[in-house]
Amino acid sequence: MVIIAVPSSGSGGLNEIVSARFGRCASFTFITVENNEIKEVKSMPNPASDVMGGAGIHAAQVIANNNADGLIVGFLGPNAAQSLSALNIKIYQAPDKQLTVKEAMDLYLKGNLQTISSANVGAHYGMGRGRGRGGGMGRRSNF
Amino acid sequence: MSEKPKIICVTGGKGGTGKTLVAVNIAIMFKNSGYKTLLIDGDSENPNTYLLMNGQLTRNSEVLFFKPKIIEEKCTKCGLCAQNCAPHALLHVDDSIPIPILTVCSGCRLCYKICPSDAIEPDFKVIGWTYTSKAYGVDLFIGELKPGEARSAAIIETLMENLEDIINNNPNKYDVIILDTAPGAHCDVELLIGNADIVIPVTEPTKFGKLDLLRIIDLIKLLEKDYRAIVNRSSLLGFKDQFMKELKDIGIHILGDIPLDKDIVNSYCQGIPIMDKTSQFDRMGEGYQAFLKIFENLKEWIHQKN
Repeated sequence: MVIIAVPSSGSGGLNEIVSARFGRCASFTFITVENNEIKEVKSMPNPASDVMGGAGIHAAQVIANNNADGLIVGFLGPNAAQSLSALNIKIYQAPDKQLTVKEAMDLYLKGNLQTISSANVGAHYGMGRGRGRGGGMGRRSNF
Repeated sequence: MSEKPKIICVTGGKGGTGKTLVAVNIAIMFKNSGYKTLLIDGDSENPNTYLLMNGQLTRNSEVLFFKPKIIEEKCTKCGLCAQNCAPHALLHVDDSIPIPILTVCSGCRLCYKICPSDAIEPDFKVIGWTYTSKAYGVDLFIGELKPGEARSAAIIETLMENLEDIINNNPNKYDVIILDTAPGAHCDVELLIGNADIVIPVTEPTKFGKLDLLRIIDLIKLLEKDYRAIVNRSSLLGFKDQFMKELKDIGIHILGDIPLDKDIVNSYCQGIPIMDKTSQFDRMGEGYQAFLKIFENLKEWIHQKN
Protein backbone atom coordinates (compact mmCIF):
# COMPACT_ATOMS: atom_id res chain seq x y z
CA MET A 1 0.00 0.00 0.00
CA VAL A 2 1.26 3.47 -0.87
CA ILE A 3 -0.22 6.93 -0.41
CA ILE A 4 0.23 9.42 -3.24
CA ALA A 5 -0.26 13.14 -2.62
CA VAL A 6 -1.46 15.38 -5.44
CA PRO A 7 -1.60 19.19 -5.14
CA SER A 8 -5.10 20.06 -6.34
CA SER A 9 -7.42 22.96 -7.02
CA GLY A 10 -10.60 23.78 -5.13
CA SER A 11 -11.25 21.52 -2.18
CA GLY A 12 -9.50 18.55 -3.81
CA GLY A 13 -10.72 15.12 -4.94
CA LEU A 14 -10.32 12.96 -8.04
CA ASN A 15 -12.31 15.30 -10.29
CA GLU A 16 -10.39 18.48 -9.43
CA ILE A 17 -7.57 19.80 -11.60
CA VAL A 18 -3.96 19.04 -10.60
CA SER A 19 -2.35 22.26 -9.35
CA ALA A 20 0.91 23.10 -11.07
CA ARG A 21 2.18 24.58 -7.83
CA PHE A 22 3.20 22.55 -4.80
CA GLY A 23 3.73 24.81 -1.76
CA ARG A 24 0.90 27.18 -2.53
CA CYS A 25 -1.73 24.90 -4.09
CA ALA A 26 -5.30 25.20 -2.76
CA SER A 27 -5.64 21.64 -1.50
CA PHE A 28 -3.98 18.24 -1.31
CA THR A 29 -5.66 15.06 -2.46
CA PHE A 30 -4.27 11.87 -0.88
CA ILE A 31 -4.89 8.65 -2.80
CA THR A 32 -4.28 5.30 -1.16
CA VAL A 33 -3.19 2.71 -3.75
CA GLU A 34 -3.33 -1.01 -3.10
CA ASN A 35 -2.70 -3.73 -5.72
CA ASN A 36 -2.39 -0.96 -8.30
CA GLU A 37 -5.93 0.21 -7.63
CA ILE A 38 -7.29 3.31 -5.98
CA LYS A 39 -8.49 2.21 -2.57
CA GLU A 40 -9.27 5.46 -0.78
CA VAL A 41 -9.33 9.19 -1.56
CA LYS A 42 -8.97 11.92 1.07
CA SER A 43 -8.49 15.63 0.59
CA MET A 44 -7.68 18.62 2.75
CA PRO A 45 -7.05 22.36 2.29
CA ASN A 46 -3.34 23.19 2.06
CA PRO A 47 -2.40 24.97 5.31
CA ALA A 48 0.83 26.20 3.68
CA SER A 49 -0.94 28.07 0.87
CA ASP A 50 -0.82 31.44 2.58
CA VAL A 51 2.21 31.27 4.88
CA MET A 52 4.67 34.16 4.62
CA GLY A 53 7.67 32.09 3.61
CA GLY A 54 8.83 28.50 3.36
CA ALA A 55 5.57 27.27 1.83
CA GLY A 56 7.35 24.41 0.04
CA ILE A 57 8.96 23.21 3.27
CA HIS A 58 5.70 23.54 5.18
CA ALA A 59 3.76 21.69 2.46
CA ALA A 60 6.32 18.86 2.49
CA GLN A 61 5.78 18.59 6.24
CA VAL A 62 1.99 18.47 5.72
CA ILE A 63 2.09 15.64 3.19
CA ALA A 64 4.60 13.72 5.34
CA ASN A 65 2.28 14.03 8.33
CA ASN A 66 -0.42 12.51 6.12
CA ASN A 67 1.90 9.55 5.48
CA ALA A 68 2.44 10.28 1.79
CA ASP A 69 5.01 8.04 0.09
CA GLY A 70 4.93 9.88 -3.22
CA LEU A 71 3.96 13.22 -4.75
CA ILE A 72 2.79 14.04 -8.28
CA VAL A 73 3.74 17.62 -9.09
CA GLY A 74 4.22 20.01 -12.02
CA PHE A 75 6.63 22.57 -10.67
CA LEU A 76 8.88 22.01 -7.68
CA GLY A 77 11.11 24.62 -6.03
CA PRO A 78 14.50 24.01 -4.41
CA ASN A 79 13.39 24.17 -0.76
CA ALA A 80 10.49 21.81 -1.38
CA ALA A 81 12.75 19.39 -3.28
CA GLN A 82 15.30 19.44 -0.46
CA SER A 83 12.57 18.80 2.13
CA LEU A 84 10.92 15.97 0.19
CA SER A 85 14.26 14.33 -0.32
CA ALA A 86 15.04 14.58 3.43
CA LEU A 87 11.67 12.95 4.09
CA ASN A 88 12.23 10.18 1.49
CA ILE A 89 9.11 11.11 -0.45
CA LYS A 90 9.23 10.08 -4.12
CA ILE A 91 8.50 12.84 -6.62
CA TYR A 92 6.68 12.12 -9.89
CA GLN A 93 6.68 14.70 -12.66
CA ALA A 94 3.16 15.62 -13.82
CA PRO A 95 2.90 16.21 -17.58
CA ASP A 96 2.87 19.82 -18.76
CA LYS A 97 -0.85 19.96 -19.53
CA GLN A 98 -4.10 20.34 -17.64
CA LEU A 99 -5.19 17.09 -15.99
CA THR A 100 -7.67 16.03 -13.36
CA VAL A 101 -6.34 14.23 -10.30
CA LYS A 102 -7.98 11.07 -11.67
CA GLU A 103 -6.18 11.40 -15.03
CA ALA A 104 -2.86 11.98 -13.27
CA MET A 105 -3.45 8.91 -11.09
CA ASP A 106 -4.26 6.80 -14.18
CA LEU A 107 -0.86 7.78 -15.62
CA TYR A 108 0.79 6.90 -12.31
CA LEU A 109 -0.94 3.51 -12.10
CA LYS A 110 0.14 2.71 -15.67
CA GLY A 111 3.72 3.56 -14.69
CA ASN A 112 3.79 6.49 -17.13
CA LEU A 113 5.10 9.15 -14.74
CA GLN A 114 8.83 9.77 -14.39
CA THR A 115 10.42 10.34 -11.02
CA ILE A 116 12.48 13.49 -10.53
CA SER A 117 15.07 14.06 -7.86
CA SER A 118 15.60 17.80 -7.83
CA ALA A 119 13.89 21.14 -8.24
CA ASN A 120 12.70 22.06 -11.73
CA VAL A 121 12.00 25.75 -11.02
CA GLY A 122 13.63 28.44 -8.87
CA ALA A 123 12.51 29.57 -5.44
CA HIS A 124 9.24 31.53 -5.22
CA TYR A 125 8.21 30.38 -8.71
CA GLY A 126 4.67 29.57 -7.70
CA MET A 127 4.05 32.78 -5.80
CA GLY A 128 2.86 34.87 -8.72
CA ARG A 129 1.27 38.17 -7.81
CA GLY A 130 0.96 39.27 -4.21
CA ARG A 131 4.15 38.13 -2.56
CA GLY A 132 3.54 35.84 0.38
CA ARG A 133 -0.20 35.78 -0.10
CA GLY A 134 -0.52 32.86 -2.45
CA GLY A 135 -2.96 34.89 -4.51
CA GLY A 136 -0.98 34.64 -7.73
CA MET A 137 -1.41 32.59 -10.81
CA GLY A 138 1.93 30.85 -11.30
CA ARG A 139 2.87 30.40 -14.93
CA ARG A 140 -0.04 28.23 -15.92
CA SER A 141 -3.62 28.71 -14.97
CA ASN A 142 -4.71 25.12 -14.57
CA PHE A 143 -5.70 25.08 -10.94
CA MET B 1 37.33 68.47 13.37
CA SER B 2 35.43 67.47 16.51
CA GLU B 3 36.74 64.80 18.88
CA LYS B 4 34.53 62.04 17.57
CA PRO B 5 35.51 61.03 14.04
CA LYS B 6 33.38 62.41 11.24
CA ILE B 7 31.67 59.57 9.34
CA ILE B 8 30.99 60.20 5.65
CA CYS B 9 29.00 57.66 3.62
CA VAL B 10 29.58 57.53 -0.15
CA THR B 11 26.67 55.80 -1.88
CA GLY B 12 24.58 56.35 -4.99
CA GLY B 13 21.86 53.89 -5.86
CA LYS B 14 23.09 53.05 -9.35
CA GLY B 15 26.03 50.71 -9.94
CA GLY B 16 29.13 51.91 -11.75
CA THR B 17 28.64 55.61 -11.08
CA GLY B 18 32.01 56.02 -9.36
CA LYS B 19 31.19 55.55 -5.69
CA THR B 20 34.46 53.77 -4.96
CA LEU B 21 36.47 56.27 -7.05
CA VAL B 22 34.98 59.14 -5.02
CA ALA B 23 35.32 57.32 -1.67
CA VAL B 24 38.99 56.49 -2.29
CA ASN B 25 39.96 59.96 -3.48
CA ILE B 26 38.09 61.76 -0.69
CA ALA B 27 39.91 59.49 1.78
CA ILE B 28 43.23 60.33 0.11
CA MET B 29 42.49 64.07 0.22
CA PHE B 30 41.70 63.92 3.95
CA LYS B 31 44.93 61.99 4.49
CA ASN B 32 46.83 64.59 2.44
CA SER B 33 45.45 67.26 4.76
CA GLY B 34 46.83 65.44 7.80
CA TYR B 35 43.70 63.68 9.00
CA LYS B 36 43.87 60.11 10.27
CA THR B 37 41.56 58.37 7.82
CA LEU B 38 39.81 54.99 7.74
CA LEU B 39 38.05 53.74 4.61
CA ILE B 40 35.46 50.98 5.10
CA ASP B 41 34.36 48.98 2.04
CA GLY B 42 30.75 47.95 2.67
CA ASP B 43 30.11 46.47 -0.78
CA SER B 44 30.40 42.93 0.52
CA GLU B 45 29.63 41.25 -2.81
CA ASN B 46 32.25 43.26 -4.69
CA PRO B 47 34.84 44.31 -2.11
CA ASN B 48 37.23 46.01 -4.51
CA THR B 49 38.14 49.35 -2.93
CA TYR B 50 41.66 48.12 -2.23
CA LEU B 51 42.21 47.49 -5.95
CA LEU B 52 41.90 51.22 -6.67
CA MET B 53 44.72 51.72 -4.16
CA ASN B 54 46.93 48.79 -5.16
CA GLY B 55 46.43 47.40 -1.64
CA GLN B 56 47.11 43.90 -0.35
CA LEU B 57 44.53 42.29 1.91
CA THR B 58 45.18 40.63 5.25
CA ARG B 59 42.48 38.28 6.52
CA ASN B 60 41.16 39.74 9.76
CA SER B 61 38.38 37.39 10.89
CA GLU B 62 35.58 35.10 9.84
CA VAL B 63 31.99 36.33 9.96
CA LEU B 64 29.88 33.66 11.62
CA PHE B 65 26.14 33.12 11.27
CA PHE B 66 23.92 31.17 13.67
CA LYS B 67 22.52 27.81 12.64
CA PRO B 68 20.54 25.42 14.86
CA LYS B 69 22.20 22.19 15.95
CA ILE B 70 19.71 19.57 17.12
CA ILE B 71 20.88 17.36 19.99
CA GLU B 72 18.98 14.22 19.10
CA GLU B 73 19.29 12.57 22.54
CA LYS B 74 17.60 15.56 24.18
CA CYS B 75 14.90 16.18 21.53
CA THR B 76 11.38 15.14 22.63
CA LYS B 77 10.08 15.57 19.03
CA CYS B 78 7.45 18.02 20.29
CA GLY B 79 7.69 20.22 17.19
CA LEU B 80 7.50 23.55 19.08
CA CYS B 81 10.57 24.86 17.23
CA ALA B 82 9.10 24.08 13.80
CA GLN B 83 5.68 25.53 14.68
CA ASN B 84 7.29 28.83 15.63
CA CYS B 85 9.91 29.10 12.90
CA ALA B 86 8.69 32.00 10.73
CA PRO B 87 10.61 31.09 7.54
CA HIS B 88 9.77 27.37 8.06
CA ALA B 89 13.43 26.44 8.26
CA LEU B 90 12.71 23.50 10.54
CA LEU B 91 10.98 20.54 8.98
CA HIS B 92 9.08 18.55 11.58
CA VAL B 93 7.06 15.44 10.91
CA ASP B 94 5.08 13.91 13.80
CA ASP B 95 7.19 11.70 16.07
CA SER B 96 10.47 12.56 14.41
CA ILE B 97 13.41 14.85 15.01
CA PRO B 98 13.17 18.22 13.19
CA ILE B 99 15.36 18.67 10.11
CA PRO B 100 16.92 22.15 9.65
CA ILE B 101 16.63 23.60 6.12
CA LEU B 102 19.52 26.04 6.44
CA THR B 103 19.00 27.81 3.12
CA VAL B 104 15.95 29.59 4.51
CA CYS B 105 17.11 29.99 8.14
CA SER B 106 17.21 33.68 9.09
CA GLY B 107 19.51 33.06 12.06
CA CYS B 108 17.02 34.53 14.56
CA ARG B 109 17.80 31.92 17.28
CA LEU B 110 14.14 31.63 18.31
CA CYS B 111 14.30 27.81 18.11
CA TYR B 112 17.32 27.80 20.42
CA LYS B 113 15.57 30.09 22.89
CA ILE B 114 12.21 28.30 23.04
CA CYS B 115 13.21 24.63 22.99
CA PRO B 116 11.75 23.30 26.29
CA SER B 117 14.29 20.49 26.50
CA ASP B 118 17.43 22.45 25.51
CA ALA B 119 17.82 20.19 22.51
CA ILE B 120 18.90 23.03 20.20
CA GLU B 121 22.39 24.44 20.56
CA PRO B 122 23.84 27.37 18.66
CA ASP B 123 26.15 26.31 15.89
CA PHE B 124 27.76 28.60 13.35
CA LYS B 125 28.64 28.68 9.69
CA VAL B 126 31.15 31.01 8.02
CA ILE B 127 29.28 33.40 5.69
CA GLY B 128 32.13 35.79 4.97
CA TRP B 129 35.30 37.47 6.10
CA THR B 130 36.68 40.84 7.10
CA TYR B 131 40.06 42.14 5.95
CA THR B 132 42.34 44.97 6.94
CA SER B 133 44.85 46.76 4.79
CA LYS B 134 46.69 50.05 4.52
CA ALA B 135 47.42 51.87 1.28
CA TYR B 136 48.57 55.42 0.50
CA GLY B 137 48.46 56.22 4.22
CA VAL B 138 44.76 55.30 4.55
CA ASP B 139 43.61 52.38 6.74
CA LEU B 140 41.21 50.01 5.00
CA PHE B 141 38.61 47.74 6.56
CA ILE B 142 36.74 45.45 4.19
CA GLY B 143 33.87 42.97 4.41
CA GLU B 144 33.36 40.11 1.98
CA LEU B 145 30.31 37.87 1.64
CA LYS B 146 31.09 34.24 0.82
CA PRO B 147 29.81 33.59 -2.72
CA GLY B 148 26.49 31.74 -2.57
CA GLU B 149 25.54 33.12 0.85
CA ALA B 150 22.55 35.45 1.05
CA ARG B 151 22.80 37.32 4.34
CA SER B 152 25.05 40.20 3.29
CA ALA B 153 23.60 42.49 5.97
CA ALA B 154 25.31 40.30 8.59
CA ILE B 155 28.68 41.26 7.04
CA ILE B 156 27.81 44.97 7.23
CA GLU B 157 26.62 44.55 10.82
CA THR B 158 30.00 43.01 11.67
CA LEU B 159 31.82 45.95 10.04
CA MET B 160 29.67 48.44 11.96
CA GLU B 161 30.13 46.60 15.29
CA ASN B 162 33.88 46.75 14.75
CA LEU B 163 33.62 50.45 13.90
CA GLU B 164 31.67 51.09 17.09
CA ASP B 165 34.37 49.29 19.10
CA ILE B 166 37.08 51.40 17.47
CA ILE B 167 35.21 54.64 18.22
CA ASN B 168 34.37 53.64 21.81
CA ASN B 169 37.78 52.24 22.72
CA ASN B 170 39.94 54.71 20.88
CA PRO B 171 37.99 57.80 19.82
CA ASN B 172 41.14 59.58 18.63
CA LYS B 173 42.38 56.79 16.39
CA TYR B 174 40.69 58.35 13.36
CA ASP B 175 39.56 61.86 12.43
CA VAL B 176 37.58 60.82 9.36
CA ILE B 177 35.86 57.56 8.44
CA ILE B 178 34.62 57.03 4.89
CA LEU B 179 31.99 54.33 4.26
CA ASP B 180 31.76 53.04 0.68
CA THR B 181 28.46 51.25 -0.04
CA ALA B 182 27.13 48.73 -2.55
CA PRO B 183 24.79 50.01 -5.27
CA GLY B 184 21.08 49.93 -4.49
CA ALA B 185 18.86 51.14 -1.68
CA HIS B 186 18.66 47.90 0.31
CA CYS B 187 19.38 47.00 3.92
CA ASP B 188 23.21 46.86 3.53
CA VAL B 189 23.20 50.42 2.21
CA GLU B 190 20.68 51.48 4.84
CA LEU B 191 22.91 50.17 7.65
CA LEU B 192 25.88 52.18 6.38
CA ILE B 193 23.92 55.40 5.78
CA GLY B 194 22.36 54.99 9.22
CA ASN B 195 25.84 55.02 10.79
CA ALA B 196 27.02 58.13 8.92
CA ASP B 197 26.99 61.82 9.85
CA ILE B 198 26.69 62.97 6.25
CA VAL B 199 26.00 61.21 2.95
CA ILE B 200 27.39 61.73 -0.55
CA PRO B 201 25.37 59.99 -3.28
CA VAL B 202 27.31 59.70 -6.55
CA THR B 203 25.32 59.71 -9.78
CA GLU B 204 25.81 60.15 -13.53
CA PRO B 205 23.91 62.25 -16.08
CA THR B 206 21.62 59.52 -17.44
CA LYS B 207 17.99 58.59 -16.84
CA PHE B 208 19.22 55.53 -14.90
CA GLY B 209 21.45 57.73 -12.76
CA LYS B 210 18.65 60.15 -11.99
CA LEU B 211 16.10 57.48 -11.07
CA ASP B 212 18.51 55.67 -8.76
CA LEU B 213 19.63 58.97 -7.23
CA LEU B 214 16.03 59.84 -6.39
CA ARG B 215 15.59 56.40 -4.81
CA ILE B 216 18.71 56.69 -2.66
CA ILE B 217 17.73 60.23 -1.61
CA ASP B 218 14.38 58.86 -0.44
CA LEU B 219 16.28 56.40 1.75
CA ILE B 220 18.66 59.12 3.02
CA LYS B 221 15.69 61.31 3.96
CA LEU B 222 13.98 58.38 5.66
CA LEU B 223 17.10 57.99 7.81
CA GLU B 224 17.07 61.77 8.47
CA LYS B 225 20.58 62.34 7.16
CA ASP B 226 22.01 65.36 5.38
CA TYR B 227 23.29 64.71 1.85
CA ARG B 228 24.95 66.41 -1.11
CA ALA B 229 25.25 64.67 -4.47
CA ILE B 230 28.19 64.36 -6.85
CA VAL B 231 27.54 64.07 -10.60
CA ASN B 232 30.32 61.92 -12.06
CA ARG B 233 31.15 61.83 -15.81
CA SER B 234 29.25 65.11 -15.91
CA SER B 235 30.49 66.00 -19.41
CA LEU B 236 29.06 62.79 -20.88
CA LEU B 237 27.48 63.60 -24.28
CA GLY B 238 27.00 67.26 -23.38
CA PHE B 239 23.97 66.79 -21.14
CA LYS B 240 25.64 68.36 -18.12
CA ASP B 241 23.78 71.69 -18.00
CA GLN B 242 20.41 70.09 -18.61
CA PHE B 243 21.02 67.36 -16.01
CA MET B 244 22.32 69.74 -13.36
CA LYS B 245 19.30 71.98 -13.95
CA GLU B 246 16.92 69.02 -13.64
CA LEU B 247 18.45 68.10 -10.29
CA LYS B 248 18.37 71.71 -9.12
CA ASP B 249 14.73 72.12 -10.19
CA ILE B 250 13.66 69.23 -7.94
CA GLY B 251 15.66 70.64 -5.04
CA ILE B 252 18.60 68.19 -4.97
CA HIS B 253 21.67 69.51 -3.15
CA ILE B 254 24.87 69.23 -5.19
CA LEU B 255 28.39 68.97 -3.81
CA GLY B 256 30.08 69.10 -7.20
CA ASP B 257 30.67 67.32 -10.48
CA ILE B 258 33.49 65.35 -12.05
CA PRO B 259 33.93 65.57 -15.84
CA LEU B 260 35.16 62.75 -18.08
CA ASP B 261 38.91 62.90 -17.72
CA LYS B 262 41.79 60.88 -19.15
CA ASP B 263 43.83 61.09 -15.93
CA ILE B 264 40.95 59.67 -13.89
CA VAL B 265 40.66 56.73 -16.29
CA ASN B 266 44.43 56.22 -16.11
CA SER B 267 44.46 56.35 -12.33
CA TYR B 268 41.54 53.92 -12.18
CA CYS B 269 43.23 51.41 -14.48
CA GLN B 270 46.58 51.64 -12.72
CA GLY B 271 45.19 51.52 -9.17
CA ILE B 272 46.89 54.82 -8.31
CA PRO B 273 44.48 57.31 -6.73
CA ILE B 274 44.56 60.49 -8.83
CA MET B 275 44.61 62.65 -5.70
CA ASP B 276 47.67 60.99 -4.17
CA LYS B 277 50.49 63.48 -3.63
CA THR B 278 53.08 61.27 -5.28
CA SER B 279 51.02 60.51 -8.38
CA GLN B 280 52.22 61.83 -11.75
CA PHE B 281 48.87 63.18 -12.90
CA ASP B 282 48.37 66.71 -14.19
CA ARG B 283 47.66 69.00 -11.23
CA MET B 284 45.84 71.39 -13.55
CA GLY B 285 43.80 68.62 -15.25
CA GLU B 286 40.00 68.86 -15.17
CA GLY B 287 39.58 65.70 -13.10
CA TYR B 288 42.19 66.70 -10.52
CA GLN B 289 40.73 70.20 -10.20
CA ALA B 290 37.19 68.82 -9.92
CA PHE B 291 38.22 66.64 -6.96
CA LEU B 292 39.97 69.61 -5.29
CA LYS B 293 36.82 71.70 -5.64
CA ILE B 294 34.65 68.88 -4.26
CA PHE B 295 37.00 68.59 -1.28
CA GLU B 296 36.78 72.34 -0.60
CA ASN B 297 32.96 72.18 -0.77
CA LEU B 298 32.95 69.12 1.49
CA LYS B 299 35.14 70.80 4.14
CA GLU B 300 32.93 73.89 3.98
CA TRP B 301 29.81 71.74 4.41
CA ILE B 302 31.29 69.89 7.41
CA HIS B 303 32.39 73.22 8.91
CA GLN B 304 28.84 74.60 8.55
CA LYS B 305 27.41 71.55 10.32
CA ASN B 306 29.74 71.80 13.32
